[in-house]
Amino acid sequence: MVGGGAPTRRSFIAAGLALAAVSSVQAAPGGPRLAAIDWAMLETAIALGHMPVAACELIRFRVDSPEPPVPEEVVDLGLRGAPNFELLQLVRPDLILNSPYYTRYEARLSQLAPVLNLPFYTRGEPPLPKVMAALHDLAGAIDDPLAATHAEAAAEEELSRIAAAVAPFSDLPLCLINIGDARHLRAFGFDSLFGSVAARLGLANAWEGQTRFSFLAPVPIEQLATMPEARVVIVGDVPVQARRGLARAKLWQALPAVAEGRVYQVPEVNAFGGLPSALRFARLLEAALARPPEVQL
Amino acid sequence: MSRAAQIGLAGAGLLALALWAWAAMGMLPVAAWPRLPFRAGEMSLDQILLAFGMMPRGVIALVAGAALGLSGALLQTVLRNPVADPTTLGISSGAQLALVLATIFAPGLLVEGRWPVAVAGAALAAALVLAVGARRGFAPVTMVIVGMLVGLTASAVATAVTLSQGQYLLSLVIWNGGSLVQQDWSGVLSLAAVLALGSLAAALLARPLRVLSLGVEGASGLGLNVAAVRSAGIAVAVGLAAAVSAELGLIGFVGLAGPALARSLGARTIPQRLVLSPVIGALILSLCDGAVLAVAGASGEMFPTGALTGLIGGPLLIWLLPRLRGSTPPGREAAEGAAPRLARPMPLLLGLLAALIAAALVLVWIGRVPGGWAILDAQSFSDFLPMRLPRLIAAASAGAALATAGALLQRLTGNPLASPEVLGVSGGAALGFAAVVYLSTAATGPMLYAGTMTGGVVALALVAAYVMRRDMPAERILLAGIAVSALASAVLSAMMASGDARSWTVLAWLSGSSSAVLMPGALALAALALLLWGAALTTARWLTILPLGAGVAGGLSLPLRRARLLLILLAGLATGAATVLVGPLSFVGLMAPHMARRAGLARPMHHVTGAALIGALLMLLADFGARMAGFPYELPLGLFASLIGAPWLLWLMMRTGK
Repeated sequence: MVGGGAPTRRSFIAAGLALAAVSSVQAAPGGPRLAAIDWAMLETAIALGHMPVAACELIRFRVDSPEPPVPEEVVDLGLRGAPNFELLQLVRPDLILNSPYYTRYEARLSQLAPVLNLPFYTRGEPPLPKVMAALHDLAGAIDDPLAATHAEAAAEEELSRIAAAVAPFSDLPLCLINIGDARHLRAFGFDSLFGSVAARLGLANAWEGQTRFSFLAPVPIEQLATMPEARVVIVGDVPVQARRGLARAKLWQALPAVAEGRVYQVPEVNAFGGLPSALRFARLLEAALARPPEVQL
Repeated sequence: MSRAAQIGLAGAGLLALALWAWAAMGMLPVAAWPRLPFRAGEMSLDQILLAFGMMPRGVIALVAGAALGLSGALLQTVLRNPVADPTTLGISSGAQLALVLATIFAPGLLVEGRWPVAVAGAALAAALVLAVGARRGFAPVTMVIVGMLVGLTASAVATAVTLSQGQYLLSLVIWNGGSLVQQDWSGVLSLAAVLALGSLAAALLARPLRVLSLGVEGASGLGLNVAAVRSAGIAVAVGLAAAVSAELGLIGFVGLAGPALARSLGARTIPQRLVLSPVIGALILSLCDGAVLAVAGASGEMFPTGALTGLIGGPLLIWLLPRLRGSTPPGREAAEGAAPRLARPMPLLLGLLAALIAAALVLVWIGRVPGGWAILDAQSFSDFLPMRLPRLIAAASAGAALATAGALLQRLTGNPLASPEVLGVSGGAALGFAAVVYLSTAATGPMLYAGTMTGGVVALALVAAYVMRRDMPAERILLAGIAVSALASAVLSAMMASGDARSWTVLAWLSGSSSAVLMPGALALAALALLLWGAALTTARWLTILPLGAGVAGGLSLPLRRARLLLILLAGLATGAATVLVGPLSFVGLMAPHMARRAGLARPMHHVTGAALIGALLMLLADFGARMAGFPYELPLGLFASLIGAPWLLWLMMRTGK
């Protein structure tokens, strides 16, 4: 045999049973067994209180979206772009959660279980309303409509609270970016999760109205000069090779936001997430704005 | 150089200047431009944007273009190869892989900038390509094919590593695009220093290179240390190219275009070419960047300059092909050593068939579950069979189809390095796939198949158009394929640089997977593989004669053009079908025919059959490895095939030289 331990039929059946047993502990009592291919759908299920029994790329997901934590028992199905169909079958899901990004697997997935495919991110459309709508769609599909109502109400309440807390910062527009290298950044326009959340918090997006900066396109850093009055919020880490370049770059140093100390930073958040990522971003943004801005590059 | 050429160059320079000035004056009227020396503290923001953004950008286009032009001119002179440049020799891909690995595994290495990492990667790739080339007398087409294969492997590994991170690496995507955006003068200064050193070295090398151009024997006779001159020339060229890629990213084909235009403008001697190539390179990159600036000013889209030069590169290579004549001493391209010949090949073929069946049976029954290995019981077997069987059939059929295509191509061109990957079909198919992903919001399986198929067919038609040319030696057909592949990868990196989650889909497909294949697709592929095999057998007579050369083939009244066209179409069809289902896979099409040859299957019928069986077996094993190695994470099939193929390929090429 190829592997380490002696493989037997019994061990295989045992593994299958163990998976089923573990997962049945996970699923809400009487709730359907969910398997999530897409992360936004995974987050939506978590927000509803229905932790899936299996999901894709959990190693990376736990890093990008640390809260709420995904229990160790949830089965990792491998890469989102190449989910492990055999393992998925072993988990025996009642419903598979997918998104348009992975539509090409629809035929294969639907052989295993019914598939729910919901859109979150469409160019030119703010995602937050879709995130909320997905709550209701998924809750409807698993016969727990109350969960969606509760989750949405709690989320709206928290967002309203944060909106009130950050109201003093609504004087200047917010410029949400992610540093690519020393010369380029990624702009989070109104149709990104972060832009959409900022809008809900009553903060103007400096990229707003400029649809050409929508949907995470990389743009040259000099574009920041076109919005001298903005507060710059860097989402995620600055890559090491960009730090030195930015620190010495005359243009970056001369940007009004940098020269006048209006640069903030929040930790990495899943830019293609669902409600939990939206709320986490709102909380992190609130905390970042509350601290004195002193981003060291 | 003629007067017309001089006027043309001056005109191009003026146009480049005008494009830049138009963009610059769009930012700030000339009257408000800052005076020298630039002091950021005393300037308005607009002035800083001009003085530390637009101005260094205009200058760096010239400097980087000149460095690439000089690099290409040196490589082409040293190797006596008119299609050598940092892109075609795999040097840029080496730098790319090194940067990907450093970004992911040792970001600390990049704190001081990308230079050391990029130079190390580029030098390693160049050393590899040259080591192989040296064994084959630096035959031009062979060098480019080796460079292409090294580049493909490097990209496959880079893609797989990027994918395994599950993270979209913006800095790498931007680097791949090759953007000239600047925000201070430091890049200009360091590149200018490198260019100055490189020019000095080139000036010193000009005389020895002229002696070298007499031929190795003649130069040695005149007391020239040929090896030293060659290594020095190549080291300078690699240094120049690596410096540009470290500072700006992948900027392809300027190194190819500069010297090519210099030659066609009448630069006959080596010193003339070494002077004129950098000038033309600078003008080309400057013009390209001017065009990008104009488009950006009009539409606001960021389009990386490197992607534009790539778009020019593909057509340029195709234009250069017919002009490649007379540069290769006969017999150099085909340096295949004598292979053993089995008197009775039947037992071997049957053994291979038995091994294939046995492997399929074993692989269908065993697998991994969380916590260990297992043999399926009856219940799990019946559950898993509908999922596992199509996948095994698809993988084996893809392997067989690619191997048959490879055997056909190697026989057809008489070049042992010919393989379906360099036919351009995979590149075209990749473009078709990417186009569907980017043009539709929710691409379904059938749409993707259709797009991929269309792309492959268009690429194939392009290559077939070359086959139809009477005077085109068979191995140059491979170059047409390489040109298409180069064009495809340029467009792909431009698409990726506009970056969002869709790039992820393309990346995942590029690295290959058999997991999404359903039964009808798998059976169709199997049927096609069988059909191809049958068709190949009916052309056995051609396959015996074609490797002997066009003269012999013509003498035996073989319908040369028709035979070639039919064989290429067959090979392209097989490659396309395999690519559509399991992604562009490297090496199986190259390896399997060689293994069959080495095993002593010399006659075309046995060779093709053996190659198909070995290809199927290899792909089954690669698929198994891809599924099991990182369980439950399924690794890219293409990566696994490359990991098996690359060492084999290098070993083979090092060995069969002399």
